[in-house]
Amino acid sequence: MKPTRPSQPWWLLSPMLAALGVFFVYPLLSALRTSFYEWDLLTPPRFIGLGNYRAIFGSGELFGSLGTTLLVSVIVVAGSLLLGLGLALAVNRPGRLAALARSAVFSAYVVSWVSVGLLFLWIFDADAGVVNQLLAAVGAGKVKWLTSTAVAPLTVALIVLWKVTGYAMIVFLAGLAGLPPEMQEAAALDGAGPLARLRYVTLPMLRPTAAFVATTSLIASFQLFDVVRLLTQGGPVRSTTVLVYAIYEQLFRDLRVGRASALVVVFFLVLSALTWLKLRAFRSQEPA
Amino acid sequence: MQRRAFLLSSAALSGGVAGCAENEAPPGRVVVPFWFTYGGRNRATLSTLVTRFNRSQNDIWVRAVFQGDYFEGLAKLRTALAAGAAPPLSHVVGEVVPYLAEAGVLEPLDDYPGARTLPLLPALGQPGSFRGGAQRPLVALPFNRSTPIAYVNQRLFDAQSGSPDTWEGLRAVARALTQPNRFGFGCPIDWWYWAALVGQAGGRVVEPDGRISLGDDAGVRALALWQELVADGTMKQPPGRDYNAWEQLSQDFLAGRVAMIWSSTAFVRYLEETADFPVRALPLPRGVRGSVPTGGTHFVWLKAAPRELKRAAWSFVRFLLRPDSAAFWSSETGYLPVTTEAAQLLRVSGFYERHPNYQVALEQLAVAEPWPWSTSLFRVQREIVQPCLEAAVLEKLEPGRALAEARRLAEESLP
Repeated sequence: MKPTRPSQPWWLLSPMLAALGVFFVYPLLSALRTSFYEWDLLTPPRFIGLGNYRAIFGSGELFGSLGTTLLVSVIVVAGSLLLGLGLALAVNRPGRLAALARSAVFSAYVVSWVSVGLLFLWIFDADAGVVNQLLAAVGAGKVKWLTSTAVAPLTVALIVLWKVTGYAMIVFLAGLAGLPPEMQEAAALDGAGPLARLRYVTLPMLRPTAAFVATTSLIASFQLFDVVRLLTQGGPVRSTTVLVYAIYEQLFRDLRVGRASALVVVFFLVLSALTWLKLRAFRSQEPA
Repeated sequence: MQRRAFLLSSAALSGGVAGCAENEAPPGRVVVPFWFTYGGRNRATLSTLVTRFNRSQNDIWVRAVFQGDYFEGLAKLRTALAAGAAPPLSHVVGEVVPYLAEAGVLEPLDDYPGARTLPLLPALGQPGSFRGGAQRPLVALPFNRSTPIAYVNQRLFDAQSGSPDTWEGLRAVARALTQPNRFGFGCPIDWWYWAALVGQAGGRVVEPDGRISLGDDAGVRALALWQELVADGTMKQPPGRDYNAWEQLSQDFLAGRVAMIWSSTAFVRYLEETADFPVRALPLPRGVRGSVPTGGTHFVWLKAAPRELKRAAWSFVRFLLRPDSAAFWSSETGYLPVTTEAAQLLRVSGFYERHPNYQVALEQLAVAEPWPWSTSLFRVQREIVQPCLEAAVLEKLEPGRALAEARRLAEESLP
């Protein structure tokens, strides 16, 4: 279809551009401007230049929350790829049992984050929790799932992983369904066993699916807030303060709008860098 | 200007949506939006009082709008203030009253009829709640005020002979009540309870000259006590922070996983009604002296609201501070009766004889320690001291060094 006038594409794009402008570009520019001010929403903003950036870098808050976010992201992305693929391969077959397993695993994804938080608060309680009681039954010691600075971030990552794995499995199942069966048949005729077919046929063809799963898992872990708010409130000792929660604390708890805005700007830059890396990785895989 | 318009629309939306659930005001009344942050039973009790007020006269209609927990409510209040859409009346935690007052957003109440002569319990009004509070314009009036108290499982408590009325007694009772599947004692690692221990150890968190001492040696002794009890395995520190940790500890207590807890007097009614064992409240122990901080919130009027609404809100609060209203609020929730008349009404009606747990916090007011009138207190508390306490207990840091570092950060953060 050729545009009747040069301006026609812009007219067609204008609703989306307007929405992006109002809900994305304007707030971002506003946050950028506010990040140079000290402001508590009550008294007039005071220009302090790079003071907010110095504060978040100097206090270690930025690196701490960024490190926690990246730790959670790595576990969630790697875990959802491995578990999602493994489960998809395991249940990619006809039969009621496989259908039940598919539904059971995916059901975690449709549970609200609030319910997940409350559920795991009970499961991971150090004294009365199901997990520690099971560990005690087999003679293992108690694990401080939510009250140890070393374990709590891993617990949070585990919970996110539990929730997103069902979605990853469904996406991988869709990917598997889209693979042409003749490739498998040809490989089998050539003498390739199940493992060889998985390695040399299935996995390479699932690469775009895996990239999609990795991206959605990364988004889920970077958006992490609800579980942290319900389970740990960023503690113990800020060990589960992910970037979004740090922004919330600065804005709503500590009345520091400027510092929260500085964190938003850095968050945007980090996400932009990750997106650029991902695009670059995709392009490097495209045929010349 | 654009930011102002955006904030205005956000505030109007949040207030409007929440307010839709309220009954329509009869025509001709002045409608007073009142933003509150009470949940559960306290919310129902407030609703009863609002209904009583609305029925008691024909001029004013109070529309109570729920705004989440204390901190969510404060965030919405600030947004509304920035947008110029502040309600005439709300209530905020004590730590932020000086901050809001010095920011110039609170209405001075000195010219309101009878404001300075309300028969408030001395420790709970602005002059008694804040050192230097009497010298400032009156901007806050108490309603849901509390102190920390101890709750014990009476059945378990009766089976041992100790009394947690001193630090040594606390250690002994915690040990005696501890069993393989039960902690003898539980306390959130929270600034409020630590401030009580600092006072009991003979110190102050902030000195009269404004220096943030964090109790000096007393602060160290308070922290060391927690570390000792946790290391002994006799004290449970619940997961989570703030009120989430408090609620978690209440659940542990109710389930029999902890025999004795420190919590707010605001939980008296809830724990008594929910527990399947008799609950007994006790005062916090004495160290070198008795000492407790006060907690809860104060009513504040927002200066930016129309004068007519602020005056109407004043009538409503006068109604709430009447002896029968304040006594009703206290007896239904466990919060302190904030006026001498309400306390007297409960006393002469025999309420405290029938419900002695409600009197524990009231008697503790004799050793209540006022907070400093400091604009940086809440930030020092939440950004510096609270993480320091958590780190020291969980990671077994040397308490003197941990508090010295917190003191240094607090001094750096002062304007």
